[in-house]
Amino acid sequence: MDVFPVWLSLRVAALATLLTVVAGVPLAWLLARKHFPGRDLLSALLLIPLVLPPTVLGYYLLTLIGSRGTVGRFLARWDIELAFTWRAAVLAAAVGSFPLLIKTTQSGFEGIDRRLEQAAATLGHSEMSIFWTISLPLAWRAILAGTVLAFCRALGEFGITLMVAGNIPGLTQTLPLAIYDHVQANQLDQANMLSFVSIAIVLFLMVALGRIARLRF
Amino acid sequence: MRLIGLLAVALFALAPPQPGPLTVFAASDLAPAFKQIVPQFEAHTRTRVTLVLGSTGVLAQQIRNGAPADVFFAANDTFINDLAAESLTLGRATLYAQGRIAIVTLTSSTTRIDDLKGLADAQIRRIAIANPQHAPYGLAAKQALDNTGLWRTLEPKLVFGENVQQAVQFVRSGSAQAGIVARSVAGTSDLRWALVDAQLHAPLNQMAVVLARTRQAATALSFIEFVNGTHGRAVMRQFGFLLPGESH
Repeated sequence: MDVFPVWLSLRVAALATLLTVVAGVPLAWLLARKHFPGRDLLSALLLIPLVLPPTVLGYYLLTLIGSRGTVGRFLARWDIELAFTWRAAVLAAAVGSFPLLIKTTQSGFEGIDRRLEQAAATLGHSEMSIFWTISLPLAWRAILAGTVLAFCRALGEFGITLMVAGNIPGLTQTLPLAIYDHVQANQLDQANMLSFVSIAIVLFLMVALGRIARLRF
Repeated sequence: MRLIGLLAVALFALAPPQPGPLTVFAASDLAPAFKQIVPQFEAHTRTRVTLVLGSTGVLAQQIRNGAPADVFFAANDTFINDLAAESLTLGRATLYAQGRIAIVTLTSSTTRIDDLKGLADAQIRRIAIANPQHAPYGLAAKQALDNTGLWRTLEPKLVFGENVQQAVQFVRSGSAQAGIVARSVAGTSDLRWALVDAQLHAPLNQMAVVLARTRQAATALSFIEFVNGTHGRAVMRQFGFLLPGESH
């Protein structure tokens, strides 16, 4: 069995999850606690990757980061390529898993008793300090559940990846793409093996973390 | 927080996967032949090759958007002409083979199909072809059906594969009872094939070209020459390709 796709997928998913957590947790908190103009629109926009065809996302992402795209041409000035590299796979996976993290985390923040945060405010804590010392610790379980979901979604990302990262063995061929290729080439043993690996990873994460942290998905 | 930072550094510090020194984009009809030719080339030249297979149209579109391909083996000439017009190629394209389409059925099936008319048989509920929009072999299959006046009758039975390899996979899995695919992908013992008259479709003049973005034009060119040379031709002939400069 070629282990490269497994290894690549784990790395891509880990990086993508890191990106979504860093950008998503503060955003989820904002959506849960703040009222600002365009909040509902933003909330809906963030859900789009969940419901839009991956082909649409992949296509627009490619028109952005491809060698002819605005971002692609901009980055080319420093000799940085995104499209058809493993970085594009990370980007694709992050886009796909963002809504899962946002939604799970947002409801985690919304479930916190507001009085606890208000009490901290009356004691002179800044908003930043409340976020770090009250909100975040109380919502950790939801954040972890969102992170696991995001990671699993990232691990399974197919459509967007195919369009923006291509399917280059040893370079951008992630686990789902390798399975797709093996089926096409009628190498069903390898396809089964890799499918089994993906199912095993996802089940392990869900069950093990579910147990340890008493998560509910 | 510090833990996340450390994790990020660790992940980025890991060496990014290194590409094979030569990336070959090849039309799916070449899959079986190139799986033999590529290792031979690697052994001869001690160059590593990354082989990427797909429909000619999909690969051309990836090249357009900056995919890191050094050399492109298409299943016809139109897509390469387009890329050349957009200055994405380097030097002249080379004709390396002419393809044929064939009707395939499972060896184990009881229905024997020898010509396109036979596909109207009620036993044949699904016919797999590659997507004619971007796969040259799919287009050739469509042209053959058009030119025999069968397109209208058979269209409801057609299922499109993403490329010719997927189309043949539909037949292998039994989901489609027949397919019109490249003769070159039908060479395994589980499949029975019957050639379709080459006059029924535009010639599948398979062209290869070195791409403008390559940093190893010489190696790329030597791969085209290898496919067109003694070793390559022996394999290509075995998979039913007609070869340039040979009489048939």
